[in-house]
Amino acid sequence: MNHYDIIIIGGGITGTAIARECSKYQLTAALLERGTDIGIGATKGNGGVVHPGYDPTPGSLKAKINVRGANLYPQLARDLNFGIINPGIFVIGFSDADEAVLKHKLEFGIKNGVRDLAIIDASQMRNREPHLAADAKNALYAPTATVVDPFEVAIAFAENAKANGVDILTSQPVIAIKKRADGRFQLITPDQQFSCSYIVNAAGNHADEVARLAGITEYQMKPRHGDLLVLDKDMVNKPQTVMFPCPGPDTKGIACIPTVHGNTIVGSTATMVDDKEAVNNYGPGIQALIDGIHKILPELDAGKIIRTFAGLRPVVLDNNNDFFIAESQTVTGFIHAAGIQSPGVASAPAIAEQVRDLLDNAGLKIVPKSDYNPYREKSIDFDALSMAEQDALIHQNPAYGRIVCRCETVTEGEIIAAIHGEIPARTLDAIKRRTRAGMGRCQSGFCQYKVIAILSRELGMPVSDICLEDRGSQMLCGPVKGGAK
Amino acid sequence: MKQLDYDVVVIGGGPAGMAAALKAKEKGATVAVIERNDELGGILNQCIHSGFGLSYFKQELTGPEYAELFINQVAAAGIDIFLKTMVIDLNPEHQVKAMNEDGMLVLAAGAIVLAMGCRERTRGAIKIPGSRPAGVLTAGLAQRYVNIENRKPGERIVILGSGDIGLIMARRLTLEGMQVLGVYELMPYANGLYRNIKNCLDDFDIPLHLSTTVTNIIGHPHLEAIEVARVDENLAVIEATREVIACDTLLLSIGLIPENELSQKSGVSLNPRTNGPLVNETLETDQPGIFACGNVLHVHDLVDNVTLEAEQAGEAAADYALQQKAAATVKATRLADNKVAITISPGENVGYTVPAKLSVPSQKATRILFRVRQPMDQAAVVIQAGTKILYQSKTRAFKPSVMEAVVLKPEEINGLNGIEKTITVSVREVK
Repeated sequence: MNHYDIIIIGGGITGTAIARECSKYQLTAALLERGTDIGIGATKGNGGVVHPGYDPTPGSLKAKINVRGANLYPQLARDLNFGIINPGIFVIGFSDADEAVLKHKLEFGIKNGVRDLAIIDASQMRNREPHLAADAKNALYAPTATVVDPFEVAIAFAENAKANGVDILTSQPVIAIKKRADGRFQLITPDQQFSCSYIVNAAGNHADEVARLAGITEYQMKPRHGDLLVLDKDMVNKPQTVMFPCPGPDTKGIACIPTVHGNTIVGSTATMVDDKEAVNNYGPGIQALIDGIHKILPELDAGKIIRTFAGLRPVVLDNNNDFFIAESQTVTGFIHAAGIQSPGVASAPAIAEQVRDLLDNAGLKIVPKSDYNPYREKSIDFDALSMAEQDALIHQNPAYGRIVCRCETVTEGEIIAAIHGEIPARTLDAIKRRTRAGMGRCQSGFCQYKVIAILSRELGMPVSDICLEDRGSQMLCGPVKGGAK
Repeated sequence: MKQLDYDVVVIGGGPAGMAAALKAKEKGATVAVIERNDELGGILNQCIHSGFGLSYFKQELTGPEYAELFINQVAAAGIDIFLKTMVIDLNPEHQVKAMNEDGMLVLAAGAIVLAMGCRERTRGAIKIPGSRPAGVLTAGLAQRYVNIENRKPGERIVILGSGDIGLIMARRLTLEGMQVLGVYELMPYANGLYRNIKNCLDDFDIPLHLSTTVTNIIGHPHLEAIEVARVDENLAVIEATREVIACDTLLLSIGLIPENELSQKSGVSLNPRTNGPLVNETLETDQPGIFACGNVLHVHDLVDNVTLEAEQAGEAAADYALQQKAAATVKATRLADNKVAITISPGENVGYTVPAKLSVPSQKATRILFRVRQPMDQAAVVIQAGTKILYQSKTRAFKPSVMEAVVLKPEEINGLNGIEKTITVSVREVK
């Protein structure tokens, strides 16, 4: 049985950030993810805004973690080579009552240490966003706010952690946890067993179930569902700024979010649901998104929607919507990183530091490694190269001369690299998250059969075994006629 | 990096691109065709059913047969063919950037013919609620899987949308032993050709449910069922009619969109009604020397019409390129023609027209293509300038699935003197 100092359960942005943090020190660690890829729970179901930290109550843990995490992002993006843009945020007021809320947020933000916040008037807003609704009066402007691609960040964290010695294991759902007589934990998955001294529970919406496996019943969770939309890159009058309406009591409201790749995301609704697997889109939710964003951008062309998706925010009940980051009071060595709802993306790097400190307090020796490499090489993005570089690359490897996804200009070379990457892509969606093949306006109508053929060839698997994402999501069944390969 | 020079570069080697290239070559131009796939023919190669060529060749051919007749001609004509080559950029100066396994290439062209075809509308465009499982795919992709890759997408199939590809696939999947449970169409009329409803659904007892749509997608990780419901005359769901149908595959045949990403890079303006370029009567876009034809211009129902349109574009592109070349040698500029530009505007019950502009006086007949918005049993095409009627057709039935064509003779339009800057094409009910 493999023994580790630490096992992290859950490979979302929180778990992978923790894995990378662990990889900086002289200790052994593994991350177990139940899904076929990392970053496919709540991490893939959100808009990617790195909230700067004007929302949380000053003095709260969430306030500290949010601001610290957001401030770490620009450097992380340079070290790990993931995409980041700096569109800033408008929180838009439409009435005098809204203005009071904006001032309140300004005050929170200043107390929390968010830089450069200001209330701006309608003309200043329109300078940046000329297509804004006529009744928008003023806004809280957070110019430092950034946007990332959350699954790209999780992949970057995981790849860097792996390069520094953390084992990243997918398709490993933990089904039993025992505390042995020697004080060590024993973790059982359907096909493997592991032991460790410390467990970090970063299991997203399933953190309460994972805790219960270890006999811990300190909290219960319920997901808060959100619908989101993706709009085509070629939409006219694209917003340049993340724009929220002045929030109500329960949600930040329906926002438009410019993405790292030039699309626009509209999200998200907020509805408490019971089913932790129900990442469905709801008809009324989609309509609420369109109606909601038209209050900010009345001319936004809903005909440019290329995809709808949904996410489940992990909410710890009776916890004031706060994170639950603490060592268990009943089982020593079991650390919770639970309830990481918004602003989970912004907070992830700081949650990782917090977890490191909790492990330190719990008795783990935290000694920096001398050979830790904080950098991650960027994989080749053909579309981003100059023509001379593209030409040279094709001469070196003709697979880069074969376009697979025409909407996003993705070459076969990039897909092969993703399949054989540090965290290998084994499904269509895993390829899509790494290369963008299938993410464009045709939504894989032209490239899906090609990607399936490449996966089949590179992995030595029959095409009928190639999955969209989860186990059981095979795209094709048997041959039409007998005798086909 | 390779640099090449042609009179005419045709982007796309499907039926439109091949016909345009042949015509341009015939007119004496040097021609290159750039095709992203490993063979010419475009989507015809996966359309293994028959029904092609009835009007152009006066015989019934399969898609690959129709394509082959052109592929053979192109191969024999001395046209340079670039296969497995993807155009990644096009600028208003007619410079084409492309790539293939040998590297990057730049082609300079006297004129460009856009012939990139179209793509299918997807689930996102119609925002069907529900889960996002494996088992939901467009009808054209399913056609590729079944006819080329020899793979079944599933066993129990439901088809949303009565577009022609969906109808063809209903028959195809049935013939291959899959069970097609039904075709559902939001509108109160079918979107595909009458002959396809008859030959592909009726003959195989596949039910067509009009005014009915898919309201929910159920199942994860794989599709398990869909919910359908009838809609009222305002297309609103009638709640009491919701019904769940167990199936493992949902094919979407919900429309086609011209693929104009490259056209837009070159600065070509699009017609919001067709999503294709705005063109004049020579099929020239608003970027001089850039022409468009086939499904990239507007979605056709019959390939025969694509061929005719593409020949016109190829001829015009060759004329343009050769005139420019001749003018350049005598250091003159292109003759500013003393013509009046007229806008052609879709009137009552007409969705769009191609072309959207023409210029008078004209020596040639002008072919105007359009589609009606709603079916009409007793109606006539009326083309007028203000109150003056230029043309009126016989009374007959019209369907949105059928592309209509009217040919205006020079004498019918040359009387326009520029005071009437717009002519309107309408289809009016005749009582």
